[in-house]
Amino acid sequence: METKNIKSWNDELNVCIRCAYCFEGCPVFKVTGWETDTARGKIILAYGMLTGDLEPSQYIADKLFQCTYCRDCSERCSANVPVVDVLAAARADIVEAGFASDTHKGMAKNVKATGNIFGDKEIKAPVQQGEIPVYIGCQYLARPNQTKMYLKILEKLGVKPLVKDEICCGYPLYALGFRKELAEHKKKFLEIFPEKEIVALCPTCAAYIHEEYGKDVKHITQSILEHLPEKNLGLKATYHDPCDLSRVMGITEEPREILKKLGIEIVEMPKNRKTSHCCGGGGGILMSDVNLSDDIAILRIKQAIETGAPLLITPCPTCEQVLKKAATVVNEKGNGTIQVKNLSDIVWKALRS
Amino acid sequence: MKIDLEKLKGIVGQDNIKNDIADLYVYGSDSSVHNALASVVVRPTTIEQVQAIVRYANAELIPVVARGSGSGMSGQAVPIDGGIVLDFKNMNRIIEIRPADMLCKVEAGLVDDDLNRALKPYGLFYPPLPASSRVATIGGEIANNASGIRSVKYGATRDSVLGMKVVLANGDLVNLGSNTKVEASGYQIDRLMVGSEGTLGIIVEATLLLKPIPKFRCIGRASFDKLEDAGEAISEIIASGASPSMLELMDNIAITAVNTTLNMGLPDVEAIVMFEADGKVKEAVDAEINFMKEICEKHSGSDIETSYDLKERTKLFAGRKKLFAALSRYKEGLSCTSLADDMAVPYSKMAECASKIHEIAKRNNVVMTAYGHCGSGCMHTKILMDPTKKEQWEGAKRAVDEVYDYVRSVGGTTSAEHGIGLSKAPAWKKEKADSLAIIKAIKKALDPNNILNPHKIQDAPDDWITATKLRYPVE
Ligand SMILES: Cc1cc2nc3c(=O)[nH]c(=O)nc-3n(C[C@H](O)[C@H](O)[C@H](O)COP(=O)(O)OP(=O)(O)OC[C@H]3O[C@@H](n4cnc5c(N)ncnc54)[C@H](O)[C@@H]3O)c2cc1C
Ligand code: SF4
Ligand code: SF4
Repeated sequence: METKNIKSWNDELNVCIRCAYCFEGCPVFKVTGWETDTARGKIILAYGMLTGDLEPSQYIADKLFQCTYCRDCSERCSANVPVVDVLAAARADIVEAGFASDTHKGMAKNVKATGNIFGDKEIKAPVQQGEIPVYIGCQYLARPNQTKMYLKILEKLGVKPLVKDEICCGYPLYALGFRKELAEHKKKFLEIFPEKEIVALCPTCAAYIHEEYGKDVKHITQSILEHLPEKNLGLKATYHDPCDLSRVMGITEEPREILKKLGIEIVEMPKNRKTSHCCGGGGGILMSDVNLSDDIAILRIKQAIETGAPLLITPCPTCEQVLKKAATVVNEKGNGTIQVKNLSDIVWKALRS
Repeated sequence: MKIDLEKLKGIVGQDNIKNDIADLYVYGSDSSVHNALASVVVRPTTIEQVQAIVRYANAELIPVVARGSGSGMSGQAVPIDGGIVLDFKNMNRIIEIRPADMLCKVEAGLVDDDLNRALKPYGLFYPPLPASSRVATIGGEIANNASGIRSVKYGATRDSVLGMKVVLANGDLVNLGSNTKVEASGYQIDRLMVGSEGTLGIIVEATLLLKPIPKFRCIGRASFDKLEDAGEAISEIIASGASPSMLELMDNIAITAVNTTLNMGLPDVEAIVMFEADGKVKEAVDAEINFMKEICEKHSGSDIETSYDLKERTKLFAGRKKLFAALSRYKEGLSCTSLADDMAVPYSKMAECASKIHEIAKRNNVVMTAYGHCGSGCMHTKILMDPTKKEQWEGAKRAVDEVYDYVRSVGGTTSAEHGIGLSKAPAWKKEKADSLAIIKAIKKALDPNNILNPHKIQDAPDDWITATKLRYPVE
């Protein structure tokens, strides 16, 4: 098998001292308990393919795709290995070796044909003139009411959003290993967004546009906080840090400041900010292994329930989706009554009050 | 080797078995340079399951290698002869915590930090605390007699284990030790099990001695222009009767590594000594710290800072804590290998040992640092080299031999806390030459069919480089 992508990370593979520190918070390992599912396990698999000790197989492909790209491993890594970059390279090589699943291939086709991951031509950005380029992203575009709410929030706070006829940022192509498709797609994205500064709604898009295109990206929570007046909603809630926002963008305080400004008492889960526990929805896992994603989300929602807060708030559409599903499962079993809400709902409610 | 998977599935269930080549490859490695393929990975959840697996393996002469988190640095958990890897991660319950008896009983697969988190509300802790406590399991720690930065005051694992349940090579279960702090004569087999690296029995449960969490903790850091001065200060601190709860040394390579790779801003000196005292009474901690500070000053220690404040303490210790990351990134193209990584020498030889390590590294064209828990006589190093180059391995091999030749010459020991396994076995066998026959007789008595982690420690190959495939692709 050709391993040109993995090879470019050869030094990092050698830097890994195989200490196992990445076991500590890996959400996949928390569910399965097998070492092969940890960052170290996956790094060893990548190394095995690079050295020729291992032939690529469907099993290895499945293992590589059972990862949420949450970067908890990199955060704890004793040797600062950029684990997700290495894994993304391994995914790219195994995809080129012919091990992409039909679902993943379908997603890549969708992006090419329609500009969004759903392959739905009806999913379109609500184009509008304005001053600040705002990137909405596939997940929020598929939730037009929430998108509208965020845009209205910005307008109410005096920010004039410029919304373009956007296309996917390319993250799913990167995450699922479609490098050739990604190279073409990136050119199109840059034609639409030549600007250096962008405000992004979705944490994953924000992180990816920042890292891959080198743009100065503000997450919407930062823009909101700059202009938000004080309110008193008198609520109690726990806040879930989306991995891309906390661990990649380092944005942990702004969303909390927003909640505090709105008079919300935050009860923290023990795993918060940079050591937050993943919701289970990232890295394309929803398309690779939805059951695993569900199990991870249930772990997180249980942590939220343990805080005693009746409400969990998060600014990420994917976290919201998977945690809502987990809350339904746990609540139906009589083990909680927690509600999950997107930050937009809360801010909008406050601004209307 | 023929293994009856159906039989194993009958014992632990289909979901607790892995035998895809990918899994076997992953479980064939640990934090050492070694790599070998297991035949199957089995994850028991009860003592009875462990007994049934071992009984079956003994009857069929199949090797059984117990595994915690595979954080060992000497290849202890690498299944050199293949066979069954017994993964303990699902036997991780805390059975009971008995504050009045200052003890707890736990399953072998429990992770050290998880235990300490559970003990905190009782105001207690389990002291061995290796740096790897976030992943190391209690079984792995016992099997390696792990220790850590606080062992200078609280001892190594052996000092904190009161007893254990062990599955013997024939599958029988034995209760070893007691629930008491002391036990006088009679062979204390539990003590023999500590540090036996899974070669004499499979630990399934342990009774552990606990200590109260100290109310006050103060850390100090001193810089030394000369390594020898740092060594003398350490020697005197220990000989003076002071009771440090930590006494650490970092040499200039370690300092440069954290400064250049992580921008830590540590003083650019030949050595840094970190000292700590803890206790229930602040005045007593003050006295200990001042006493150690004075000794450092007497030996030309400068820029001495001390603090009780958690944030400050974390800052003062940050360089030491981040050392692994720094060493891994010391220079592009060099990897941080666990070779000659651990030894103990008499206190008076600490500085000389560090200097010897530097000399040996230079002579053999590799980079080696010296740092360690000097309070317990333990010195660590790492060999930083390009692991893809054959000549680097040849240099590393000579360096390892020379380091341990020196350690033996001063009456030190090959294994301070990182085990023996494969990489350190050749040196350890030389050190224990006159007791090897007894050691082999003990192994034979307890494991007559040689199924428990075979070909490790005294039975390991004489050349660690060819003992297994190296995990790096060597040109
Ligand atoms: C970054 C890093 C830092 C480290 N720092 C320290 C330190 O400060 N102090 C220190 O002492 N060590 C340290 N170590 C070494 C290592 O973490 C310890 O030896 C630890 O005790 C190993 O635990 P484990 O669960 O990973 O065991 P494994 O690596 O899985 O196993 C090690 C050995 O124990 C045996 N074993 C495991 N479980 C059982 C059982 N239930 N019954 C019988 N045998 C068993 C195995 O067969 C093997 O021989 C460090 C390692 C790393 C990578
Ligand atoms: S924590 Fe980092 S260095 Fe350690 S095994 Fe995981 S990836 Fe490798
Ligand atoms: S990115 Fe997250 S899920 Fe993937 S290996 Fe790292 S910790 Fe585990």
